[in-house]
Amino acid sequence: MLIQYLFVFAQVHEDFRIPELLSTSELYGFEIKFPERLEDRDTSRPFMLLELESEEHARLLSRRCILIRYVCEFYARGKSYEEVHEHNRARSSLWEKYIEDTSFKFLVTAFNHTIPQWRQRDVVESFSYMDFRGKIDMKNPDITLTVFEEYPDKHGTTREKTEGDGQFDEVWFGRLIEVGSARPLVKTFDVKKRVYYGNTSMEAEISLLMANQTLASPGKLIYDPFVGTGSMAYTTAHFGAFVLGSDIDGRQMRGKIKPPGIIRAAAQYGVASRIVDLCTFDVTQNPWRCGDLFDAIITDPPYGVRAGAKRLGRKSNRPPREAPAPAHVERPDDQPYIPPVKPYELSELARDLVILARYMLKPRGRLVFFLPTVTEEYEELDVHAMLCDGMELVANSLQNFGSWGRRLITIRKTTAEKYPPPIFDPVRAVTEAMDVHVPAHKDFREKYFQGFKKSDFSIEDVRRG
Amino acid sequence: MVRLITHNLLACHAKGCTSNNFPLQFQDVSIELRDADFNADFLRGFLPRLEWPALVGAARQLGDTSLPAEQPDMIDDEFLQKLHHVLLEIHVEEGAMVCPNCKHVYPISNGIPNMLLAEHEIG
Repeated sequence: MLIQYLFVFAQVHEDFRIPELLSTSELYGFEIKFPERLEDRDTSRPFMLLELESEEHARLLSRRCILIRYVCEFYARGKSYEEVHEHNRARSSLWEKYIEDTSFKFLVTAFNHTIPQWRQRDVVESFSYMDFRGKIDMKNPDITLTVFEEYPDKHGTTREKTEGDGQFDEVWFGRLIEVGSARPLVKTFDVKKRVYYGNTSMEAEISLLMANQTLASPGKLIYDPFVGTGSMAYTTAHFGAFVLGSDIDGRQMRGKIKPPGIIRAAAQYGVASRIVDLCTFDVTQNPWRCGDLFDAIITDPPYGVRAGAKRLGRKSNRPPREAPAPAHVERPDDQPYIPPVKPYELSELARDLVILARYMLKPRGRLVFFLPTVTEEYEELDVHAMLCDGMELVANSLQNFGSWGRRLITIRKTTAEKYPPPIFDPVRAVTEAMDVHVPAHKDFREKYFQGFKKSDFSIEDVRRG
Repeated sequence: MVRLITHNLLACHAKGCTSNNFPLQFQDVSIELRDADFNADFLRGFLPRLEWPALVGAARQLGDTSLPAEQPDMIDDEFLQKLHHVLLEIHVEEGAMVCPNCKHVYPISNGIPNMLLAEHEIG
């Protein structure tokens, strides 16, 4: 028997909501039944009724999902209070057990509105037919009954504070089970309060959402091949996983003082012992002895705006040096030798990452990474064209910045077959790309700095064509 | 850092260096011991991926002789505790790892190994 629970979500990153719920339920091994009617699944609304097997499952979600604010046992909903009361009376079997001797309080609140005190009292009194005989306890009640009024978004209008009071779209009523306890982690991991960060550090909330997509939990081993200043290492380690990080540029991981910056920040969060190791290398020239190692790969690849992706090799067509480069010229920043690097084009990097993940992940392991996209040109095929045999798309959530956005892509390895290590061959990639789909994120850096305008060249093409 | 679990996963990847390129040999190392979370399931899950002789060799090179030369058939708690210590609690902070085949030196500074290849070493 499934039970209905009323979930109240923070109204941010709406596109990440359902993937986060699904990942968390997969992690703990239970099912969520989502509402059938499309309007009841609309993530622009903060309320959603989810059906679960038990209250325990509701609690697991509220302790892990960053976007959950409250979880309640659902009693009633309605377009008016008359409807709510009628619905609520019909479902009295859910709350009868609290009538005799349970201390309680009411919480009356609204979304997109502030309800004046006097009407909050009226609302509470309108539930008097429930006839609760326990004492009212505002500090430590046994149960909290919650009323949520849902108002339309009044963004951008000028109005009196209580104007439109009572003109809600819907009222929701239930018994509070838990206040979402994962949501405060957004403050805990606030980048501004972190002892070590850089200009490419990922904001806390997104780092946490990413960590949840990896199904991080104690005993898992998770790898970030572009670890940078470690933003996602802290959140995945917080959920108990061991983390390995690598980066082509060791300075990002180290900072200027000892111990390394990532270790200092990890210590601040009490997870330093779970940062297994940090290594300096180019992921296209990596020293991993074998594949089939990681439960997840989580990463925010550099896409060229604040920091460009680099790989070993020379730019342009200059011939490489014949003789070995001077091997150990001491440099002031403790890097004994920095080989030449060249830019790493984004669509090439993204496709390589999927192939690398297929080799490095254990079966059912997940690859979680951000892909920046050009809003107007994006099509779903851009992401599907990146996939290869044995890798399937689990989630694709957009964080929209207007003319561009970034998509959090979650891919699962579905195969137990062994694949050879990837070759990362740029030459072959170019020839192969001739007859395959060109994604909108190709040459993202150039498009970004052109302000996402169509280049003159393509306008010419259109005229001719 | 560098812990022996990581050491057990790294091979020399210089161009053309494809045999006898593992395990890397420690050189002039200074080590620190630090406690880590014990997780028996993690260790059991990781055992099949370990190159046992390489792990025992590296541990002995760092002065830890607690592990048997042959991987035991019986995995008990006492063994897992020893394995945990060797894999996760010994940190090589300074020194280098050297490829037994091509002699490439991977320096370790401040606990971070530099595994970058020089221009003539990439494929």
